[in-house]
Amino acid sequence: MLLVAPPGPCRQAPAGDRATGDAGGGRELLARLRGDTRARPRFDPGLAGGLRAWLEDAAYEATRGMPHGAPVLLGPRRLLGSDAEGQGGGTMGTPVDRLLHQVVHAAFRQLVQTGAGDVPLRDALDALVAAGDRSVAEEVASLEDAERGALADALRRHVRALTALLPSFAPAWFPRTDEYVAIPLAGGRVVLHGVFDLLVGLPRPGSASLCALGLAMGDRARQRRSLHFLALLETLRGGAPPFRLALLEPATGLYGVEDVREEHLRAMAGHVAAWLAGLGDVEGG
Amino acid sequence: MGESLSEMLLAPHPSPDAAAWAAAQRDARAVLADVAVRRAGAGRFRVTEHDVRLAYGPEAGSSSVVEPFAWTARTARRSLGVAAVRSLAEARTRTPLDAVRQRLEQASAWVRDGAAGTSRLDHWLAGLPPGAVAAVGAEAVTWATRLWCALDWAAFSEAPVIGRDHWWDSPHSALLALRGRAEVRVDGAHLVVLTGPRRESVRAELALVALVEALRAPAAAPCRVVGWWPESGHVVRMEPEPAVLVLAARAVATVLTVPGPGIRRAA
Repeated sequence: MLLVAPPGPCRQAPAGDRATGDAGGGRELLARLRGDTRARPRFDPGLAGGLRAWLEDAAYEATRGMPHGAPVLLGPRRLLGSDAEGQGGGTMGTPVDRLLHQVVHAAFRQLVQTGAGDVPLRDALDALVAAGDRSVAEEVASLEDAERGALADALRRHVRALTALLPSFAPAWFPRTDEYVAIPLAGGRVVLHGVFDLLVGLPRPGSASLCALGLAMGDRARQRRSLHFLALLETLRGGAPPFRLALLEPATGLYGVEDVREEHLRAMAGHVAAWLAGLGDVEGG
Repeated sequence: MGESLSEMLLAPHPSPDAAAWAAAQRDARAVLADVAVRRAGAGRFRVTEHDVRLAYGPEAGSSSVVEPFAWTARTARRSLGVAAVRSLAEARTRTPLDAVRQRLEQASAWVRDGAAGTSRLDHWLAGLPPGAVAAVGAEAVTWATRLWCALDWAAFSEAPVIGRDHWWDSPHSALLALRGRAEVRVDGAHLVVLTGPRRESVRAELALVALVEALRAPAAAPCRVVGWWPESGHVVRMEPEPAVLVLAARAVATVLTVPGPGIRRAA
């Protein structure tokens, strides 16, 4: 997936036009997501079953000698590593960096649901509190004024970039955020899980009918692989993956779109199976 | 692909032997009468599938303190989601996003106008700032989209009942009531949206739905209960067999005898 900048200065459409989904900011991305409907990738109907059988075998082998207890939870961070691990450090960056990730995510959901608000940081913190998480608001409140200002400025820049990047999806596209997927294997002893930042399209069992969009707030390559992992989970859940993936990088205003291909899913399933084999080796001594 | 959720709900199910079913109903009533009498004076208890899950879960019997209920985007999503799906099924709105927005606007209007029957959820929603409303709405849209897209609504010849809890009040004690929760009810079948991990207690949780139906309308045809995890697509199907009623009655007895956080005491 090659990330590209939107062509020319992105203009935000008047609020009244944004509901049409093809005017103003995000028009280019929307066109790429739609693509040529005749050229959309097709998937072998037996693919999901084959991948599941492969992963079930791997999960069974990995957990065969393990005592029964809490399941092994395998999400993208554990499978693919986190940015902190990738940089070889144990830190998560400055407090502002760490908080920025969470408030950008909250702002992204608001952008999809209702459009951008006037005061992004206040809205994002209100959203997190409504979601039951007061820790971020408390941490922001405890920041020095300069740090809080830097966070608000950074969030504003990110929201501006996202507003330019992101189309205003018509409700008929069924946009939904934070869709959680959890696939139990080996009778629930292993659970593969992840969260789609944004899914659009009507799910049709057995056919690739969805587009998945993810926010890239760190290592781009890893974020892309994380989307492939999510595509694998959707394949196991619904019988087919999303047909197209998009990665949005609000820090740079770049985005990338790619078709999901069987080799992506096979490679990711192989990676999961290898991870599980490593788990079995460790557990087996 | 296997059988769809709609097909599972609509497929004819084998009717249990009438005598065995009636006997199981009697046995279940006897068990419930016994626990109701034994608990007389202990306060009013409402047993839900959540209580069954806790009673059979790893923390059963512990004295851990249950977090007091609070409205959040997560706790509000089902209420808003079923209202949205109902609106879609009745063709009052066309998409989950529109349906949830409409429901959120209704909450504000009802509270503003002092409408009768305004719920605590409405008051909570009406007091939220815009960022919070967006988060609550987003959570409900995701929930509603999953359910709306999971069923072939045109396949139902009669309009399904969406998001109505059914209660059964014990005739032996005004203190005991059972709740059967199902998101979609059609003639002869009930769909329950499940969350959390797959667990051993799930059959008892679903059996409670069947038991409440059997107790509320003893002469009605037995029903199938389908449990569905949207997160994984997994399904558990409980056919109407006498053993289901026995399982549920035992589960209720367990809830009422296991100390700990599992029992919901009414104020």
